[in-house]
Amino acid sequence: MNIQSRDIDALIELFEASDWDEMHLKIQDFELFLSSDAKARSPGALAAPAAVVSMGAAAAPAAGRHAGGASATTPPLADQAQSHWVTVTAPNLGTFYRAPKPGSPPFVEIGQAVDPETEICLIEVMKLFTTLRAGVKGILKQACVQDAAMVEFGETLFYIEPA
Amino acid sequence: MRLKRLFVANRGEIAVRILRTARKLGIETVIGVSVADKHSLGAEMADRAVVLGPAPSAKSYLDVRLVIHAAKATGCDSLHPGYGFLSEKPELSRLCESEGLLFVGPRSETIESLGDKLSARTIARETGVRTVPGTDHMASLADARAAAAELGYPVVMKASAGGGGRGMFKATGPRELEASFDKSSREAEAAFGDGRLYLERFVERARHVEVQIVGDGAGNVVHFGERDCSVQRRYQKLIEEAPASAVPQATRERLHEAAIRLTSFAKYRNAGTVEFLYDVERDDFYFIEVNSRIQVEHPVSEEITGQDLIALQLRVAAGEGLGLRQHDIKITGHAIECRINAEDPRNGFAPAPGRITGWQAPIGDGIRLDTHARQGYLVPPFYDSMIGKLIARGRDRNEAITRMLLAIEHFTIEGPKTTLALAGAIVDHADFRNNHITTRWLEDIGLPAFQAK
Repeated sequence: MNIQSRDIDALIELFEASDWDEMHLKIQDFELFLSSDAKARSPGALAAPAAVVSMGAAAAPAAGRHAGGASATTPPLADQAQSHWVTVTAPNLGTFYRAPKPGSPPFVEIGQAVDPETEICLIEVMKLFTTLRAGVKGILKQACVQDAAMVEFGETLFYIEPA
Repeated sequence: MRLKRLFVANRGEIAVRILRTARKLGIETVIGVSVADKHSLGAEMADRAVVLGPAPSAKSYLDVRLVIHAAKATGCDSLHPGYGFLSEKPELSRLCESEGLLFVGPRSETIESLGDKLSARTIARETGVRTVPGTDHMASLADARAAAAELGYPVVMKASAGGGGRGMFKATGPRELEASFDKSSREAEAAFGDGRLYLERFVERARHVEVQIVGDGAGNVVHFGERDCSVQRRYQKLIEEAPASAVPQATRERLHEAAIRLTSFAKYRNAGTVEFLYDVERDDFYFIEVNSRIQVEHPVSEEITGQDLIALQLRVAAGEGLGLRQHDIKITGHAIECRINAEDPRNGFAPAPGRITGWQAPIGDGIRLDTHARQGYLVPPFYDSMIGKLIARGRDRNEAITRMLLAIEHFTIEGPKTTLALAGAIVDHADFRNNHITTRWLEDIGLPAFQAK
């Protein structure tokens, strides 16, 4: 089964329209956890999904990193994020690029509107570039990683305020 | 040491083992883990841990480009692949070379030539190392009879195109050969559309004996004695020991010479293992293959030589040479290793992942435990089930056995089912104590005896 961004979008809309507290969906190695409680965590699944869209900034895990690191990246500015914002996370380790090529303006500026299909960044692995899309309709509120920095799997890249 | 920062492209106990030596040598370390291993011992021990991808290996540990990207992006100058995963993929060695990383392993062309069974057998022949004696295609029964007489019975007839045992039969004498030749050929024809047959000498009672070597890449190779890994289930080793004391000393010396001849011819660089099938009845051995990586069972060789094989791997990878000669390597005592797998040996060895709720490891003279597990550790379901290796060294084999049994007795693992009790039953078995094991022993005798208890 292949999950599209618009499927996630539809699920989020469904969730928001409902009076449910939580929704937990798992299809093969795809996993989606939605909660109206900003402190909620996905119930202990080890296999983090390839694409994660989680509601609430508090639930967005900062990338695990400890002393002795070779290079530093800007930590996510999660403290300013609103609980209903949606995070876009890295599907794998790689180099993060906000613009289609060096010197160009970024794919999306902060404050700009995005659709689920809007291209928002590139993740490069050994010169192989993968385009990431917003996955939801809304406003791009925050970029959490500096351009050209290495990101790890699951690291928060952007916050989007769903429309 | 020329290496400044090493990337560890593995997990589990071998990651911990590599990190320990790197730390001892003052080399900085970065480990690339899957999200399932984010809080593992290896991730804690390394100077830095980066999460490559999700839990499935295909999207983390087995992704060559991801691993290389991570190593370069974290400023590493070298990469250790451990065992399993990408360790014997020529592509990893090749990409390290082209991306300016020192690969702690052989050159890609060496992995290719030794990794391919047919080309490895050609190298063996060129260096005078025997493989299992056999024939080319047998055109007729008369040819087969003559060839079998020359090889010596028993022989096994195999289909050239074959596999899965079809067309295959064992003959203990000419009468059986005559009775089965036509039938076997027809069976092969029906199964594979190719009725051609060939003969191989059948080794009734075999032991798996392997020689540990390290080569510098310039043709200099030293050996660290041999290991006996005959306790196997479905070609999976459970218990290994060094030296292979059931094999006569003179034969063992011939094994060492053969292993060195073959690997120095290939200008082998790295630690490696040359595997042989030892024919107990004939006191003879045949080359099987070369494993071009550090192996799970390397600790028993370290224990009887006092050498650090991981440190030697790093040395030769850095181009610093072996730093020792054959006469510097002294073999003393005996060492046994038991693999501890999170599997249920009373239930078809079903994997038993889960939380380790209790963990009390034995300590004592000559006892070593290589593990990434600890109290509270969750054995993930995604990878190999091995959670540790218990190693016992003694002045002789009997003392190693006694120490091993004592260590197993004082080892408590609660939570997942493990093979620890099975290991104890094997080591305590009269056949093991008397060293009368063959590669068939565990499945034919050892396991039924354990399961009947």
